[in-house]
Amino acid sequence: MGLHTRKWLSQAIRYPIALIALAFFLFPIVWIVLTAFKTPNEFLRNPPVWIPQTPSLVYFEHVIKTGGLKALSNTLIISTSTTLLALLIGSLAAYALARYRVGGDNLPFFILSQRFMPPVAVIFPFLLFFKALRWMDTHQALILIYLTFNLPYAVWMMRGFFMEIPREIEESALVDGCSPLGAFWRIALPLVSPGLVATGVFCFIFSWAEFFFAVAITKSQAVTLSVYIVNFFGKMMVQWGEIGATSIVSMFPLFIISFLMQRYLVRGLTLGAVK
Amino acid sequence: MSTKMFKVLGVLLAVTMLLGLAAPIAYAQEPCQGSSSQCAVEAAKKFAGTTINYVREAGLQAQDPLTMAPIWEELTGIKVNVIELAYLDMYTKPLQDHLTGGGAYDAIDLSPMWMQDYVNAGALEPLDPYIEKYMNPADMEDFLPVYRSEGVMKINGVTYGLYDDGDVFILYYRKDLFEDETNKAEFKAKYGYELVPPETEQQMYDAAEFFTNKYAPELYGLAIQRIEGQAYSWFVGPFSGRGGQFFDENMKATINSDIGVQLLTDMVKQNKVMPPGVEKWGFMEVLSAWMDGKVAMIVTWPPIGRWSAGYGDTAKQLAWVPASKVVGKVGYMPQPGGRPTLAGGFNMCVTATSANKEAAYLFIQWMTSPDISLQRVMLPFALRDPYRLSHFSSPLYRSAWPEAGEYLDTLKKAGMSGQYELGIPGAREYMEAIDNALTAAYAGKDPKAALDEAAAKWDAITERLGVENQKKAYEQWLKNPWNRLGPTVEVPTE
Amino acid sequence: MAAASEAIAMSSGMPQRRKRNLIPWMFVAPCMLVILLVTIFPTIYSLGLSLTKWEIGLQERPFIGLGNYIELFSTPRFLHSLLITLLVVVVGVSVEFGLGFSLAQLLSGEMKGKRVIVAALLLPVMVMPVVVGYTWRLLWDAQYGPINQIIGWIIGQPFTYTWLAKTETALFAILVTEIWQWTPFMFLVFLSGLAVMDPEVFEAADIDGASGWAKLWYMTLPLMRPIIIVALLIRGLDALKFFDIIFTLTGGGPGNSTETLSFYIYQTGYQFFRLGYGAAASFVLLVFLALFLTYLLKAFRATVEG
Repeated sequence: MGLHTRKWLSQAIRYPIALIALAFFLFPIVWIVLTAFKTPNEFLRNPPVWIPQTPSLVYFEHVIKTGGLKALSNTLIISTSTTLLALLIGSLAAYALARYRVGGDNLPFFILSQRFMPPVAVIFPFLLFFKALRWMDTHQALILIYLTFNLPYAVWMMRGFFMEIPREIEESALVDGCSPLGAFWRIALPLVSPGLVATGVFCFIFSWAEFFFAVAITKSQAVTLSVYIVNFFGKMMVQWGEIGATSIVSMFPLFIISFLMQRYLVRGLTLGAVK
Repeated sequence: MSTKMFKVLGVLLAVTMLLGLAAPIAYAQEPCQGSSSQCAVEAAKKFAGTTINYVREAGLQAQDPLTMAPIWEELTGIKVNVIELAYLDMYTKPLQDHLTGGGAYDAIDLSPMWMQDYVNAGALEPLDPYIEKYMNPADMEDFLPVYRSEGVMKINGVTYGLYDDGDVFILYYRKDLFEDETNKAEFKAKYGYELVPPETEQQMYDAAEFFTNKYAPELYGLAIQRIEGQAYSWFVGPFSGRGGQFFDENMKATINSDIGVQLLTDMVKQNKVMPPGVEKWGFMEVLSAWMDGKVAMIVTWPPIGRWSAGYGDTAKQLAWVPASKVVGKVGYMPQPGGRPTLAGGFNMCVTATSANKEAAYLFIQWMTSPDISLQRVMLPFALRDPYRLSHFSSPLYRSAWPEAGEYLDTLKKAGMSGQYELGIPGAREYMEAIDNALTAAYAGKDPKAALDEAAAKWDAITERLGVENQKKAYEQWLKNPWNRLGPTVEVPTE
Repeated sequence: MAAASEAIAMSSGMPQRRKRNLIPWMFVAPCMLVILLVTIFPTIYSLGLSLTKWEIGLQERPFIGLGNYIELFSTPRFLHSLLITLLVVVVGVSVEFGLGFSLAQLLSGEMKGKRVIVAALLLPVMVMPVVVGYTWRLLWDAQYGPINQIIGWIIGQPFTYTWLAKTETALFAILVTEIWQWTPFMFLVFLSGLAVMDPEVFEAADIDGASGWAKLWYMTLPLMRPIIIVALLIRGLDALKFFDIIFTLTGGGPGNSTETLSFYIYQTGYQFFRLGYGAAASFVLLVFLALFLTYLLKAFRATVEG
């Protein structure tokens, strides 16, 4: 088989394969989206009904009425706060690691390793801790936990970004009498702003989808979307319509973010190994 | 029909509110002579301005307190904050809260199964002093005896909860199919006896097989929930009815006795005459197949009886319930096998760490009082089922739909011959072991091997929690006639 | 977790420069404070807990040394959950790797509409795991799910099979679900990796007449090594903690046959309040993670620094 034939062949099968892959990876998402518009008789029908015959927003209305908006705003508040804090504290530390080589080569790896702590191992002490602080069912409790899990990531990522910018610019500022904090805040940080965005997106996504800690710590005031949706899966009834509606609410903000930030995603996903 | 019902309920609610505003002086005196709801309202007024955190199962269940809380607030000035939790979280979260210092919840809903774990942990407030002070004694007598007994509302003779949900399994069957002359003749020819609404498990199986053979896939004979996490409830009642025992005199598990193994073998066999995929069916699947007229019999919780009669199908909260195609065709029987499972149910309790115990108690007394609770078990979207003598005899309820009287009588009869699920320390873990054995057997595991494994788990749990402790707890639990296993209940004479 | 990074620290042998300047340390201080406070304290607390008999039904909480650990390793259910966890890690992550890599190979290079295709393929990663579990529960449903329906169309007669009620197929369903969610991750990572490789190397190989397989084996894979390691590190570690999807898809059933380690710990520790035993089980998980992490992080470190 000649070179050209092979090239032509590989070109020719690309689109069919891409189509099959798209069908497989998108079908479940389409299905849960459609479920949000089906009547109970449609999502519990054999053979299954694919297209809702009388689509309505009734489940969305119900979700809004039963605390869905609150769950959404809790999720937004918690994810945003964690992201901002992780970026702030994390890039400060990352700057010191990158510029001053604090803790040598080991500290960055130690910090990164904390990212992989299994939640089940630490949940009960967390409960005691937050109980003592009277922080159960509060935003700040989840913000603090997610911060712990996002910081290692933020530090690691931001360290990479800081290492990429030439240090000469800051050094001249320091010579001109700028404080180290000033050099960090006014000179280095603006230079890595694309890095901040890339890192922030991932901190945000992690906090958005987290379930294990959220279900343990929230009760009613700080309930996030992942916990809220589970409540529709009751012992007696499973409210698939509401589950579908909440799924849509929980998915689309991330879809939009991922589409807008596509070029940052790869670096974030690979802990900076792919630039 | 249902629109009329709403109007009646609306008037009732309004009257209640007016009565509360009028505040008859008679109710202010102690102990309570008049209606317990009025006494609660009068006594609660001094706590106006406080807030009670009350735990209820999330979703439809919570619609009931969310409807009632504003009325209570109007009457007493006490705000009720309804905290919605998923069913299993209702066990774990308040206990977790108690173990880490408590104070987050004032009133909670607990299944009778969980009561001993809570009492052992010191998480519940004894209610007797409050009852003496605020409740009309006659209203205590009004609870159906099975629901106010030891191990349900009481642990070691101390009252820790006010019962609020008459959950018992009954069988719903399609009268039209059972009364059809052709069906009757064909059935008799094949099985040698009359086609009757089943009282025994064998009759139920035969009828199920008959209908499935004749009508499938348009209609199946029987559908029972088999999904993990609740499958065990359908084992407990028949196990007791067949004479099975949980433990021997040394507290060794005997769930893997011949009776248990035979029962599980029969349950696996039942799956063959039920709709394909039934191993994963929960309440929703059973409900929708039933309402759609696709099954001849189901055995499940009480709310289906109301909805299949079309009662309340215009309520907004029930948008997710499929419209009933079986209105007027439904007959009721207690769960076949002699001992219907008293599956789940709820007590309303006050936590030991609450800062507003008295107000919390008054709220649960008001909620469970005869007049208020009648309105609540009649809410069309209610998942709370009748549990008071006055509910079963209520003319209003009995006329809610043509067969409502039969429905209530069946619920009462089933309740009075019912079998409770095990309620000793570690109850959830014991029941989970049975649940695992059942779903493993449905997946093809040998029933004997599955139950042997469950029995080994039981022994390990007992061992761990202390054989003597568990034995004592079990003996205490058995003091309730509805907890004792066996084909019949010896109802105490009062 | 600390153990793992210490291992790395010792193995690196790099001399540490002492800085007299305190300011950089102050920069790191807030971050270290949060991490130490919120991860080290709970770890130590849990270790202590794992050495006691802490049961909801008992009034006393006696110290029992390694009792919980001994019980763990003599409990078939625990060992089974360990097996299932490893199955998800090994089979799930391998298939994700294989599929993701092949897909990336096929779709690398210029292609019309690529940006949209890639963006669409990435969506599963963005769905909450809890939602993923519920969605697939619907899809696999015997009566109401489209999977049986589609199979029925293919074989030309109605098909009913209760996937989640049989152990083997429930495991299969879990793996498919995991693979569905994370293959796109592998795909995107490798696609980007391939994009930054030097095309001239491959052109030279083409001229030398190297076969497609030879190029893959001797050139692409070695060049992609750092990226492959990172991808395996991230997915492997997350798969070891696999919980949300089990919670919503199978609930561990039928029986206990699809319980992962995290699910088992959740069940015993936080549903049945066997806190000592649960803490011991979570330490076993921690050791597994640390071993895995030590190995992969070392490899990762060699590649990012080399």
